[in-house]
Amino acid sequence: MLIAAADPLAFNFYTFITTIVVCLVVVVVLGLVVWPKILKGLDERDAKILHEIESAEAARASAMAKQKEFEHKLAAALEESDRMLREARAAAIRLGDEIRAKNESELADRARRAGEEIENARRTAVAELEAHASSLAIAIAGHILEREIAPADQKRLVEQSLAAMNTPNR
Amino acid sequence: MSLFLANSSDPVSHIVDKPIGNWRLFDVDIMLSMVTVLGSAIVLVLLLIYAAKGSKTGQASLGNRRYLPAGKFSALVEVIVVYLRDEMLIPVMGARLAARYLSYLLSLFFFILILNIVGLIPFVDVHYAIYHFTGLMPFDNVPESKTAALFGGAATASISVTAALAVISFFVVQVQGFRELGIGGWLEHLCGGRELVRGSIFLWLVIPIIFLVELGGIFVKPAALAIRLFANMVAGHTLLLTLLGFGAVALNADLGFFAVSGITLVSGVGAILITFLEVFVAVLQAFIFMFLTAVFISLMAHEEHEEGHEGEGAHGENHGHPTAAAHS
Repeated sequence: MLIAAADPLAFNFYTFITTIVVCLVVVVVLGLVVWPKILKGLDERDAKILHEIESAEAARASAMAKQKEFEHKLAAALEESDRMLREARAAAIRLGDEIRAKNESELADRARRAGEEIENARRTAVAELEAHASSLAIAIAGHILEREIAPADQKRLVEQSLAAMNTPNR
Repeated sequence: MSLFLANSSDPVSHIVDKPIGNWRLFDVDIMLSMVTVLGSAIVLVLLLIYAAKGSKTGQASLGNRRYLPAGKFSALVEVIVVYLRDEMLIPVMGARLAARYLSYLLSLFFFILILNIVGLIPFVDVHYAIYHFTGLMPFDNVPESKTAALFGGAATASISVTAALAVISFFVVQVQGFRELGIGGWLEHLCGGRELVRGSIFLWLVIPIIFLVELGGIFVKPAALAIRLFANMVAGHTLLLTLLGFGAVALNADLGFFAVSGITLVSGVGAILITFLEVFVAVLQAFIFMFLTAVFISLMAHEEHEEGHEGEGAHGENHGHPTAAAHS
């Protein structure tokens, strides 16, 4: 069964007017009720995201600054500890030198005193030995001469003997 | 079955807007597209109110989750709104104009979209199927020139509907022109712009030609909007119904069970594939209508727009691009 071909370009004024009215009502209703809410929600979300990003960036900048400050302090502390170590090492070396010098001085002093004591003892011993030797020589000489040697003679003889002994060419 | 057989003879008759039975209001036939436009508008408003409810920032007790859309439908609407606003309208119109016309352009897009989508759902055929199986019919002796369906059909396949939408866009564009340019600026715009009107006297010779072209363009632009949407919808539905009609033609020709089954199967698969294409076309045509309206609005603020963005380089190119496309 063939039917009469319909005209798709047929214009209906009432449909036209109805569509205009309905479309305008839709635009007004959506413009009052829907889009402000959706756009406000989107704007609030954008603002929230922006705020969160800014907060995160501020926190990151703050953390970076703190890290730099910490690194600076750490470097200063390391430098301070190095300086303290150097000073301690220098002080230890200086103290060691002082102790060693003091010890050496004391040792030299003791050696000098010991030398002097030895020299004194040697002199005393030599003097005693000389005295004893002279006494013994006089006693021997007395026996040989068979007479008593008076103390004045003894003294004179000793001095002569010592002088003779101290004479280098003898 | 008679409907399909009729379609096989003239699928366009299935698309063309028809009066509903014997419904009349103030002595005027109630057309199917009138009811569809009204019903779709109500559904659209209800759906978007629901979406807006979910998009609103929630109670503080929800914590940070109050900023999230409540539900997938709200999220879908938000995605579309954000894309159209940030990726399409603001780059084309600038932030100030986009903010001013955002409400209208979004409403226009969703209104055309729901009309296109409703047109893809075979409500009319569902009506006839129900009448056929239940034996219930709201009207007696409905002639072929009328329909017994109460809702459905492709409203945007009616030139009356698309013309109405284009006329609204026409007035919005012209009102924008008067607001931005004033009467003198608007006339200057029609005569080729300030440079031409205030330029050399020899250039004035071309002003009448430009005036006629621009004056024609004022009406051609909305006419193109209306015809583009109408033609795309009619073509898509005609193709779809032609494919579906192959089976009916085969049955009518008494080709035998296997031939009829084969033809019906192949044409049915083809119709399903074309339906997917039509869903895409429905969205695309809604977008094009809205986008071109935005371009026409921005053209009416063209001179100020250009001056405001002199020397902005790439940004200026972004503005020029769609405008040039619209001219072409």
